[in-house]
Amino acid sequence: MRSIIYFAIDLFVYSWKGSVKYYAWLAFLSFFIMGWAWGNYEQITKGMIVTGLSDQVSWGLYISNFVFLVGVAAAAVTVVFPGYVYKHKPSRDLAVIGEMMAIAAVIMCLLFVVNHMGRPDRAWHMIPSWVPVPVFNGVFNWPNSMLTFDVVVLNGYLALNAVCAFYYLYMKYVGKEINKFFYIPLIYLACVWALSIHTVTAFLLNTMPARAMWHHSILPIKFISTAFAAGPSLIIIALFVLKKYAGLKVTKEAINLLSLIVTWCLGIALFLILSEVVTELYHATEHSYSLSYLMFGKHGLNALVPLFLSAMFLMIVSFCLLLIPSIRKNYKVLPVICVMVFVGIWIDKGMGFVLPGLTPSPIGEFAEYTPSIVEIVNSLGNWAIGIMIFTMLAKVSVGIMNGEIRYSSGELKEIPSVPETKPKADKRGLPWEKSGWGSKSE
Amino acid sequence: MKTDEKKENKENLEKEENSCCAPDNGRRDFLKTAGVTTAAALTGAGALLSGSDEAEAKFHWAEWFQKNYRLMTDEEKEAAVTRLEKRYSEEYDKNVTVDRTEAKDGVLFGYALNIQKCIGCRRCVKACVTENNQSRENTQIEWIRVIRMEKGEFSQEFMDQGSPQISGKHGIQSGGHRHKQAGVVLEGQHYYEPEKVPEKDAFYFPMQCMQCENPPCVKVCPVRTTYRDPDGIVVIDYNWCIGCRMCIGACPYWARRFNWGEPNLPKEEMNPKTHYMGNRPRMKGVVEKCTFCVQRTRKGRYTACVEVCPVGARKFGNLLDPNSEVRKILDKKRVFRLKAELETYPKFFYFMD
Amino acid sequence: MKFSNNTYRSFFVLCAAILAFFVIGKADAACFECRENYTSVEQVEVSDELFNVKCSSKTGGVLWWGDPFYGTVPMGDMPENIEADYLSEPAVVKPRVDYEEGTSDHLGYFPCSNCHGVFVPTPRSSKDRKINAHQDVVENSLELKHGRGAIWCLECHNAKKRDYLTSHRGDLISFNQTQKLCGKCHGQIYRDWRDGIHGKRIGYWDKGAKKRWWTCTECHNPHDVEPAFKALVPESAPHLPRGMDNADHERLHVDHSGLSHGDVTDGEPTTASHGEAATDTTAESGAH
Repeated sequence: MRSIIYFAIDLFVYSWKGSVKYYAWLAFLSFFIMGWAWGNYEQITKGMIVTGLSDQVSWGLYISNFVFLVGVAAAAVTVVFPGYVYKHKPSRDLAVIGEMMAIAAVIMCLLFVVNHMGRPDRAWHMIPSWVPVPVFNGVFNWPNSMLTFDVVVLNGYLALNAVCAFYYLYMKYVGKEINKFFYIPLIYLACVWALSIHTVTAFLLNTMPARAMWHHSILPIKFISTAFAAGPSLIIIALFVLKKYAGLKVTKEAINLLSLIVTWCLGIALFLILSEVVTELYHATEHSYSLSYLMFGKHGLNALVPLFLSAMFLMIVSFCLLLIPSIRKNYKVLPVICVMVFVGIWIDKGMGFVLPGLTPSPIGEFAEYTPSIVEIVNSLGNWAIGIMIFTMLAKVSVGIMNGEIRYSSGELKEIPSVPETKPKADKRGLPWEKSGWGSKSE
Repeated sequence: MKTDEKKENKENLEKEENSCCAPDNGRRDFLKTAGVTTAAALTGAGALLSGSDEAEAKFHWAEWFQKNYRLMTDEEKEAAVTRLEKRYSEEYDKNVTVDRTEAKDGVLFGYALNIQKCIGCRRCVKACVTENNQSRENTQIEWIRVIRMEKGEFSQEFMDQGSPQISGKHGIQSGGHRHKQAGVVLEGQHYYEPEKVPEKDAFYFPMQCMQCENPPCVKVCPVRTTYRDPDGIVVIDYNWCIGCRMCIGACPYWARRFNWGEPNLPKEEMNPKTHYMGNRPRMKGVVEKCTFCVQRTRKGRYTACVEVCPVGARKFGNLLDPNSEVRKILDKKRVFRLKAELETYPKFFYFMD
Repeated sequence: MKFSNNTYRSFFVLCAAILAFFVIGKADAACFECRENYTSVEQVEVSDELFNVKCSSKTGGVLWWGDPFYGTVPMGDMPENIEADYLSEPAVVKPRVDYEEGTSDHLGYFPCSNCHGVFVPTPRSSKDRKINAHQDVVENSLELKHGRGAIWCLECHNAKKRDYLTSHRGDLISFNQTQKLCGKCHGQIYRDWRDGIHGKRIGYWDKGAKKRWWTCTECHNPHDVEPAFKALVPESAPHLPRGMDNADHERLHVDHSGLSHGDVTDGEPTTASHGEAATDTTAESGAH
């Protein structure tokens, strides 16, 4: 028990200590979080009217990010699954990073959902009455509402990853072997669960016949394939950053496997997009209005066409590049391609998917939605919070995996010495953004 | 406020403690910082909640804590309604009543609209707004939408056009009159504003909540705030809605509207005869929609839109009564349901003479 | 004979002028119920802050019925074997307003006795013919559109008692029960009307509950069947969705066929903003 408390405190303390660059990075993120605080204050006091949403397009930037991030969260499985099921050791060593990314992504998902809600103060209405919370007697429309499934799987996934990741770290911290009978079944469950979160999110959208563009059975697999392209891309980027600034030991095998997964999942995603386009547009029906609005615009409204074109450009070009092994294994180019994949899928699966699904409205009305400042600020803030959480979680993970944080049999005095014994550990600091990559990968 | 003061005192005490005894290790340091931060956060939250102006003070915590309407006991329902009546009466400077008449046995509401008669004058739209206390502006909410549909123009000009352009040897594969939008609901005009209606080249198609027997909106609601009452009306407990807008996404008829901001309902225009499930003033962040004027129809009155329709295109009645207007229409006329292929089974029928 | 004709005419014109004055004078004070210049109703506070009607500031029409029975009278005696529902439920109608009170509906209930006194001229024969009279009230009396020339005045108006309409058998029909007259020919619509399918009722929806029935002439002008359904000013369009400055896109109807359809629309728009075609249009759809 004592060791667990120390574990928690040590992690917390460690996560807040670092070099100037580290603090600069945190301060940079905090800047967005301050904006987020303002944005949320605006939205809570004035209502959703501060967003650009309308009755016609009632879901926007928040849900776009939510859908995308569920995919990112699910993508942890791309390191965990090879690592534990196929005993691929390089991946197994990095599994915990994938899990930390999943945790951060799910937290971001929850933040986006709360932002999306008109009455976040009434979120307790979802707490079922059998949950022993006094006063709050909610109603959970389970199993009718697909949204309730999503609540269950997302929170379950968060818990599962937290348990797996922190159990693993804790065992390293105290220097014991992990209990395979406890850990491995959980890992297997987490792999299946990862698929479930994205599947359920797809079901959430494609079970609504009112929205013809979403209402087809290709959606879940398309979600998963794009997720397994965008998620590992982000993991690759994170691994490069962690390798450079936090001293994480990353092997070529691990990166190569991930980039291979990105390649083929991206290929499958493109194939599915092609299938959808041909099916919908060969003999276009009323149900194809949304897709043709996205691809070509309709009635002179074509705000989404650039989204579609840029997403397709990024995805197709990066796929072609990834197909060439010499480029895929060139670690100077790979991060750039990963950013392209990530951004391309963010557009395709976010705004490029949610907005046309809602336009035209089920009775044929067109409205063009532009996110408001508050929405953008809140979204950036949610990302900043998620990235900050991931930064800290990744930092402590690396710290433990490199043996810099250890359980020291309760001797308090040894703890302050921790920062001193890690010369290379606290140099994290640059944002993982496109602009940073040119100089970084030298 | 007392608890706040206590917290502040506590905070001060802890600060003093911090200053007198220098921390000698990270863990204790952390624990203390955590304590102070928590205290500060709680103080801040307390101040936010208590230190508010008059309007905010009217906010009833009891209302916030109230249960899902259907799960309330009769006393709780009565209390909720009384609380609302008091709040509304103060807010709107008039004697507002909040009715809670339940569905009657042997009544299943149905609606029929004569699409041949409708002239597109939108008086039903405005009648609905007058009756149901919708937000008047920013953002404006109207439960009924009338769509203008063109009768289409077909002319010699397009006869040998189409795709491929000039027929040549192999004939035209799709004709020049494709995309002529006559009778295509999705190509209708929502914002038509002619000097007079009806126009020669158009007909009109009003839409509102269809009160489906198999409502997709009810199924997707995560908190069961919207549900089908026994008399067939799909209602919303505005106090229970969490504003997730799943129902807006799921509705194939675009019948649901969202209160994006605090609704703008002028006092003098407010209709004081309200129903808990119907036209009582809404709050920001909740969904609303047509309830077949539940405050009227459960007391026997026709809906506001039926009464105002200048051409008598709108018919309303009890589907269980073979002599009712709606049943007579089902017997005598050819009816159709909008988007019947979705199997939502609307109780809103369209018919023609 | 000629002299007396002139006397009649001048006297009649005077009456019509007075009538017209009241009709126009009244138009501002009251809002019209269904059609402009047809029946109208004044807004009255029936109880505390509750009005019988609320009217549109844009079109001047009734927008909301608070008291559906304001100013109505029982529909009256209906023969049991013909009439249906209003036997079992209290049916009320809005009476044709008395000329003496200076108010009138669109047809102008205009008892002949007011001008003619007791000496209503009795036609020499019941054979239908064109009559060069009453063109002030019935503009097209020389070419009555109703019936496309097959009927004339005394097909509907009682020859002997001009303050009444007439049945096939020559029985009197009140101006408040025009459906009995119209139903003589328009049987299908009459049946629909009795079932509540055609026409309009307000009040209580339940069978056996009180309703106000609109009778034929509250919506249709029997003298002037074209346009049977006069076009009226619509209420204003909904606000544009947020993020939209105009609704041009829904009028463009751009198609992908490669035709220069866009140009056609630009040149002579069949758009919503053009209403001039509507003003003198017969809306067949609304007629029956």
